[in-house]
This record gives sequence, structure tokens and C-alpha cells, in this order.
Amino acid sequence: MTADAQVDVIVVGSGPSAVNAAYPLVEAGFTVRMLDVGNRDTTYEKLIPDAGFSELRRTDAQQYRYLLGDEFEGIGFGHTGAGAQLTPPRQYVCKDTERLQPIASQSFFPLQSLAEGGLGGAWGAGSPPFSKADLAGFPISLEDLQPHYEVVADRIGVSGARDDLMPFLGAQFAMQPAVEIDSNAEAILRRYATHRGSLNRTGLFLGHPRIAMLSRPHRGREANRYRDMDFWSDAGKSVYRPRWTLDELRAFPNFSIVSRRLVRTFEERADGDVVVHAANVDGGGTEQHRARTLVLAAGTLGTTRIVLRSLGLFDRRVPIVCNPHSYAALLDLNTLGQPVRDERHSMAQFCLVHAPEGHLRPFTVGHFYSYRSLLLFRLMKDNPLPFRESLTIMRHLAPSFGVLILQHQDHPTADKHCSLVASDVGEDRLAVSYDLSVREQAQIDAIEADIARGLRRLRCLKLKTMRPGHAASVHYAGTLPMSAKDEELTTDKHGRLHRTRAIYVADGSVFPSLPSKGLTFTMMANADRIGCHVRSTLRA
Amino acid sequence: MVATSRPRTIAAAAPHEDAALLRHEAVWFARYLVDAIPEAALVERYVQANARLFAGPPTAGDAAILAFLHAHPWTLALLDAGTAFAHGAPLLRQKLVVMMAILEATPDFVDQTSQVDGVGLPLLAWRLGRAGAVAALKLVTGTALAAVVTRGTR
Ligand SMILES: Cc1cc2nc3c(=O)[nH]c(=O)nc-3n(C[C@H](O)[C@H](O)[C@H](O)COP(=O)(O)OP(=O)(O)OC[C@H]3O[C@@H](n4cnc5c(N)ncnc54)[C@H](O)[C@@H]3O)c2cc1C
Repeated sequence: MTADAQVDVIVVGSGPSAVNAAYPLVEAGFTVRMLDVGNRDTTYEKLIPDAGFSELRRTDAQQYRYLLGDEFEGIGFGHTGAGAQLTPPRQYVCKDTERLQPIASQSFFPLQSLAEGGLGGAWGAGSPPFSKADLAGFPISLEDLQPHYEVVADRIGVSGARDDLMPFLGAQFAMQPAVEIDSNAEAILRRYATHRGSLNRTGLFLGHPRIAMLSRPHRGREANRYRDMDFWSDAGKSVYRPRWTLDELRAFPNFSIVSRRLVRTFEERADGDVVVHAANVDGGGTEQHRARTLVLAAGTLGTTRIVLRSLGLFDRRVPIVCNPHSYAALLDLNTLGQPVRDERHSMAQFCLVHAPEGHLRPFTVGHFYSYRSLLLFRLMKDNPLPFRESLTIMRHLAPSFGVLILQHQDHPTADKHCSLVASDVGEDRLAVSYDLSVREQAQIDAIEADIARGLRRLRCLKLKTMRPGHAASVHYAGTLPMSAKDEELTTDKHGRLHRTRAIYVADGSVFPSLPSKGLTFTMMANADRIGCHVRSTLRA
Repeated sequence: MVATSRPRTIAAAAPHEDAALLRHEAVWFARYLVDAIPEAALVERYVQANARLFAGPPTAGDAAILAFLHAHPWTLALLDAGTAFAHGAPLLRQKLVVMMAILEATPDFVDQTSQVDGVGLPLLAWRLGRAGAVAALKLVTGTALAAVVTRGTR
């Protein structure tokens, strides 16, 4: 067992929440040590040429290695579940999690990460801020978050437009102009523009998404090059990855990162220090790290494990929430047989909001993706036609094909909980039980039926709805919710774990519920807010 | 957005005696999908992929279909159609997906496997209609053939 020199703050994790919690502390001159497992892609990144998708498909003889994977891990046959869109070059984000972060569940199979940058190494970069309505039930307000949204929007680079979605998505001053959209989305938005009034009256609104992807060069990163390579490669760094912030942090002498460490427990000592116990995942030994304050940002499920284990609360149930998720396969009749532009990015092309009761009441948000760079064989796999004809049909329809990803709001109920189960051999398992009530499912079905009707008016035909399972949105939250009450296993409004002195939680664990939006941008803003709060307590 | 999960099982290599059959499959499948004879490297890639992805023993139904195919390669199109609606993912269809993926990730076949746009509505309708009609015919005949081939295995 080794002990390292004391630092001001230890941050656990290197994902979106960790790097954004660390930033204000490092900037202020405090010594910050990041402890992380830090898996990386050592195989594929270097193989992918700096070229557009169409070009490399024509020219690169090695493409099969990264498109299919050296172990053919890009060809899967199972159920379309969490992480369905992870291409071989992105799959490193989940490496080792089955072994080191086992889950026991009948219904909830989450994606977890032990990678440098966490799941942020593969995320879709959708970055809508929460609105006032979205924050109902949180002990913090939009005003609390607003300055941190600004700071983080500048740090990570968010693009978007001030369009019909303003009341639902808001905007930051730092927001860059929207990235260009593809021919498919353009045709749908044109049709929306001609039917705007009537569609808005039914509660349907369309516009540009907020994406952490650059339309202008920023902080040493390039604007998107519209090469449709965003699912495969980070060349140009247009899409935000926590690694970019980590690179900035590494330039500070008061910041250090210790990789290959799996944090197991923390304890608060009588002398006021926090001691963190971590295992070396390569060597197997354990070591102690000392700090004045600990910030946990190991992802909701990772942090929950560390907290329950540290407090010895095995088998104790905590709530969990996760946006129910569905994919609707759409055919855009507006573009059938039409020429389409080759230049495009691969992320969400437009955002759809279903808000029959207006922006002050809960509403549902969806993102539309066109389909190309994920390859045709994946579409054909699920198509019950003879393959030869399927290939002809798919080649002709795919330019007009799209996927609308809907994420529904989620609130804690008695049927959604998890607990840590001790294990004699191997790692403790996180047992998760998650079920939607009949009422919740009926609400989802009604919303989706309503959206399908609106889509038909936009000449988008819904071909099929896929429900990839409860954990598939990869938006996990609510296990250690912020609460005004001083209760065990909750956090205060600054993310401090109640009944501790200096243990803070900066990831999704602290969100009491989830609106119908990706949580990560808000989580990063909240992590920055928590980092700023820790900074002022350390100064005091 | 629509791909998924991990290979079912991982094996070290294809059993030697199977490799010759797998090489035949690779050629039949490529000819069926894109009207071309694949290079030796692609054939070997197909053999490797089979070893990685399909290490477990096939079900009785899958084995019957594959045995019939190996004896009568000309029935491939019908067996493919005949298993398209089968419960679970039939092994023959999974193998076709693998060959399709390999072809799609090869520059030589980019023209046969890329999206086609800008053909105009009339030509699009004609091509889709023709493919749909052929598919329907194959589905009817293929379903009957697959039922006969797998008789006694269920
Ligand atoms: C394909 C995909 C698309 C997504 N798209 C979007 C989107 O468009 N919008 C959106 O809002 N969200 C999206 N998400 C979700 C988003 O990625 C997560 O919400 C976000 O990454 C969570 O950040 P985090 O920092 O809390 O945790 P994570 O990203 O999970 O990072 C956890 C970090 O903690 C470390 N760690 C864990 N346990 C330990 C331990 N015991 N000891 C040491 N280190 C540890 C890991 O190594 C890792 O660095 C997507 C996710 C995926 C997979």
C-alpha cells in the first residue's frame, strides 16, 4: 500500500463531468489529482485516413479493419440495445466494464465506461440546456445554472440556431452558428416552414439542434469538415470529447492525472483529510491518495458504487432514473429519387419538439439522424427480404432514410432502484431493477403516436419503432439526488453528499429526475458549478 | 443507429475441415449479392469472420439449411428468402450479413454497395417495384423450400 503526497482536490473519473468539475479548480491554482482507469483506443484511431467517408470507401484498402473491427466486433447480431451505434473505433469506451463494473439485472443493461473521457469518447454531442420546466423538482434554478452553461458552452463549443426551438432549448451567448444540415433534413425543414402554423398549433416544432460540434474554429479545434466521419474518427476535433479539455488541463502544472486506478472507497479522517483507496488495475496493488476534498465524477453508476461501498451500505436501495428511449425508422418522402449532397456531418440533423401544452409544461424532444456512414449491411440485417433485393431496395431508399431518436422524461418510482451486492469473488455487483408503470408506458405510446401523425404531415413515413431496452438512452441519473433535506444518500444543492464534510458528487447521480433531453450538457454545467463552489470553500 | 452488440461467441480459428466449405460459401455469397467473384483475401476474411462469430454448433434447422445449400448451391436465393421470416436469426442469413459487410468494406465493391440517389421518381419506382416483385416470388417459393429442407428438425 502506497501513499501519495496530499493535494487540494481529488477528482474521480475523466468523463464530461470530471473534466468540467476540475477546470475551475485547476484554473484557480488548486492542486488537483484526477484518478481514472483511462482506457484508450490503441488500435483504430491511427488506421483511419484523414479523408471523407465517400473517398475512403473508394480508396482505402484497410477500411475493413476499422469499419468491421479486427475481431469483427462491428458486425453484431443480438438485440439492438444500449450502445447499438458504437462503431469499432468507439467500443474502447466500454472496455473492461463487464469485469470491473458488473451489473445484475433482468431488465436494465447499461453502458458504462472506464475510458479516458468516459462515455464522452463516443457520445452524440446533443447539448440542449434544461429549461425552467425541465428543472421542476430540482433544488437549483435555471439562474443558478445559467452562468455555468455559458462557461461550458464556450469550453466545449456548442452550435445551434435561434429558431422556433428557442423557448424549449434556450441559447447561450457563446453559442456558435448552427452547423449545416444535409439534404434530407433540409427538405423536411422546408416542408415544416410551409406548414409551420398548423404544426405548431398541434404542438410540433422543428429546428436546429444544440450540438457540441463546431461550425467555426475554436480553442485549437477545427470547424466540422462535413466528411460524415463523426462516428468513426475525431480528426479535426470538431465534435467535443472530454479529452480536449483534459489536454488543456494537462498544460497546468498544478494538475495531474493518475491513470490505471480503480477507485474503490473513500473515508473522511478526523484530521479533516479525505483518503481515497484505489486499486491499480494493471498491477493489482492498492494505494491511498489524500486530499482536502473529493469530487466524485465516475459516471452515475460508478459513483453510486463508490459511495455505497465506502459507507458500507450494501443491499441498500437507491433510486435510479434513465430516459426511456425509442428509435423510429423514417422514410422521408420529400427526397425520394432526389440527388443528395455528399457533404454532411453524421450527428443529429434537426431537432423535433412535441409540446402540446407549450414550453412551460413538460415536452418531448427528438433528434433526427440521416443514415449513411453506419453502412448498409446493418439496415439489411433487420430487413426480412431476400438479401439481393434488399440490397437494391436499401441502396435506393437509404438516401431518404432517417432515424428519429426520442428520449422521454423519467421520474423516480418504486419500480426503479439499484443496490450494491457484495461479492466474494470478483467485483461487487450493482443490482438494478427498472420497470415503467402501465401509465408511464401509455403516456409514451400516446406521445409517439402524436409525433408520428405530425411526421406524416411532414411527409415522413414511420416504418418501424424500435425500443432498444430500458438502459439504452445511456442517460443514467438520480441515485444520490440533490435534496433540500439532510437525508442519507442525498446531496445538497452544491453536490455535497449529506452527512459528509468534503465529499462532492458532480455527475448525473445528483439529478433527481430527467426531462426529455440529454443530460450531459447540464451535467457539465452543474459540474462546473460544483467545482466553483468547492473552489470558494477551499479559499475560505 | 441500428447496429448492435457483440459477436455471440469467439473461437480461435475455423476448424480446418470447415474452411474449404466456408471458402465455397464466400464465393457463392459474393456472386449472389454483387455478381462478382471475390479475391482470395476476401474469402479468407470471410473464413476468419466465421471462426470469430459462429463458433458454437448450429441448430438442427440451421445445419439442415446449410447442408442443403452445400449440396445445391443454386438454391441460395430461395433459401435466403425462405429463412427471411424465420424465428430468431437463421445462421444462413447471419452469414450473408457477414459477407455483405465484408463486401461493403472493400473499395472494389463500392459501386455495388453504396447508396443510389438522384435517379428520379419514375426510375426509382420501377427499380423498387421490380425488386419487390422478385422478392415476393422468392419469398413464396423459398418459404416452401425451407419448410421441406428443415422438416423433421423442429
Ligand atoms: C453512443 C452515446 C451517445 C450519447 N449521446 C449523448 C448525447 O447526444 N447527449 C447527451 O446528453 N448524452 C449523450 N450520451 C451520454 C453521455 O455520454 C453521458 O451522459 C456522459 O458521458 C456521462 O458523463 P460522466 O462524466 O458522468 O460519466 P462517464 O462518461 O461514464 O465517465 C466516467 C469516468 O469515470 C471513470 N471511472 C468510473 N469508475 C471509476 C472508478 N471506480 N475509479 C476510477 N475511475 C472511474 C471512467 O474511467 C470514466 O473516465 C451518449 C452516450 C453514448 C454512449
